[in-house]
Amino acid sequence: MTGFLQQLVQGLGAGAIYASLALALVLIYQFTGIVNFAQGELAMFSTYLAWQFTAAGMPFWLALALTLAVSFAGGMLIERLVIRPVEGAPELTVVIVTVGLFIFVNAAAGWIWTFLIKDFPNPFPGGALEAGGLRVSYSTLGVLVVVGLVMGLLYLLFQHTRIGLGMRAVATNPDSARLVGIRVGWTLALGWGLAATVGAVSGVLVAPLLFLEPNMMGGVLIYAFAAATLGGFDSPVGAVVGGLIVGVAETLAGAYVGFIGSDLKVGVPLVIILGVLLLRPQGLFGRAAVERA
Amino acid sequence: MSALVVTDLHAGYGDARVLHGVSLSVGEGEVCAILGPNGAGKTTLLRALSGMVRTRGTVRLGDADLAGRSPDTIARQGVAHVPEGRGTFMPLTVEENLRLGAYVRPASRRARAEVDADLERIHGYFPVLKTRLRQAAGSLSGGEQQMLAIGRALMLRPRLLLLDEPSLGLAPLVTRELFRIVRTINEQERTTVVVVEQNAHLALGIAQQAHVLETGRIVLSGTAEQIRADEQVAQSYLGYRV
Repeated sequence: MTGFLQQLVQGLGAGAIYASLALALVLIYQFTGIVNFAQGELAMFSTYLAWQFTAAGMPFWLALALTLAVSFAGGMLIERLVIRPVEGAPELTVVIVTVGLFIFVNAAAGWIWTFLIKDFPNPFPGGALEAGGLRVSYSTLGVLVVVGLVMGLLYLLFQHTRIGLGMRAVATNPDSARLVGIRVGWTLALGWGLAATVGAVSGVLVAPLLFLEPNMMGGVLIYAFAAATLGGFDSPVGAVVGGLIVGVAETLAGAYVGFIGSDLKVGVPLVIILGVLLLRPQGLFGRAAVERA
Repeated sequence: MSALVVTDLHAGYGDARVLHGVSLSVGEGEVCAILGPNGAGKTTLLRALSGMVRTRGTVRLGDADLAGRSPDTIARQGVAHVPEGRGTFMPLTVEENLRLGAYVRPASRRARAEVDADLERIHGYFPVLKTRLRQAAGSLSGGEQQMLAIGRALMLRPRLLLLDEPSLGLAPLVTRELFRIVRTINEQERTTVVVVEQNAHLALGIAQQAHVLETGRIVLSGTAEQIRADEQVAQSYLGYRV
């Protein structure tokens, strides 16, 4: 039983990271209807920035704050420069642009920092909290707390501020939002900035667990896609719940299903994506698109 | 004195020209009705006034020239547009929809108190909205959504209110009630109103002046009484002979 709980907590820790990247995906999808394939790479680039700042001697939390600020500005800039020109273009065009962005950012990181792996400092102390035979590492706890904090802040922003209300208005009815005086273009850029910031958090959290290298977010992105698909691409709450479920499912499958083990557990998100698309395409919390015949 | 002066306004979508030189003026605090058949360009005229389509010509509201400005800039100038289809923010609550109408008003403490007072005033016009404040706006009936759309527009404290087919899809009784409220609003707030409407009878009932639009041009202008007395209009839009 303790062993099971142990796996569960570990799964939640992993899931929280997937949840934060899924949240970034959902943020952009909600505002623009774009699935941003480059989200993971942007997070990776942000993580390199954090590494660069700490390598320059900055204390970790200061480096993090600076990274988040730069990521926010970078996200906005990308929306203005790269996405804006294809706004309203067919979906495939936009998808190709984000895939191009993926390749560009990946290559740029490799060019700047090389493809050799780097150690990323773990901001949380080593060791673990022990209670009733259950060991929860401070690292896992830290991840859960940070992701919880990000969710809380986003909730406050969307539900209790004027800007958040404006952002939700743009997400639901851009034309009508324009008519009440909201600057829709800037709101979309703001959405990209926020998504890049949330993504950066997931990158910084995952880097100490893996190694820092340009391809580190590839796997995480697949889990995040599974999470967003499971929760519903238009639901931030769904992204979080989906992320946690995917994390737990992956960990438990790896531990308890004999033939899966740690090698095959990457297959879990793909099975989840396929299952959701077949059985409930709108996801657990998403709204089904209904059109009159 | 004229609040709104439109001169030689052209507008269209891509290569399709819809308005071909529309000129009209509306007095301060007056209601102006735009009548005309489907496809005459009535909706496009309103969209041109609120910056939703590209235009050529001038649109003066008080001292400001609005032609060619973006919709959000025009809204900040005090133009509230209740669009065709009502523009409801479906998943948001009724209260959030109303507060979005006041989005561009300043956020100072005093201004916020004014916004709260305006919310109360709008509950006065539309008591049904008050009972549904926490409900998702998408769950309202068509008539309630139209009331919500007008309420949202009023939250801007507009100098110019643009109403696009408020009767569309509503039961006759609801429509009459709605026009009664629009008249009350116009009388109490002295808001200048331009209303596009298929139901010419109702529109002429609240308007001081009216214009008939056909294929993008104004073919007839006059006071509401003159337009109502016009035999051609009576046959085409009122459904009876004078």
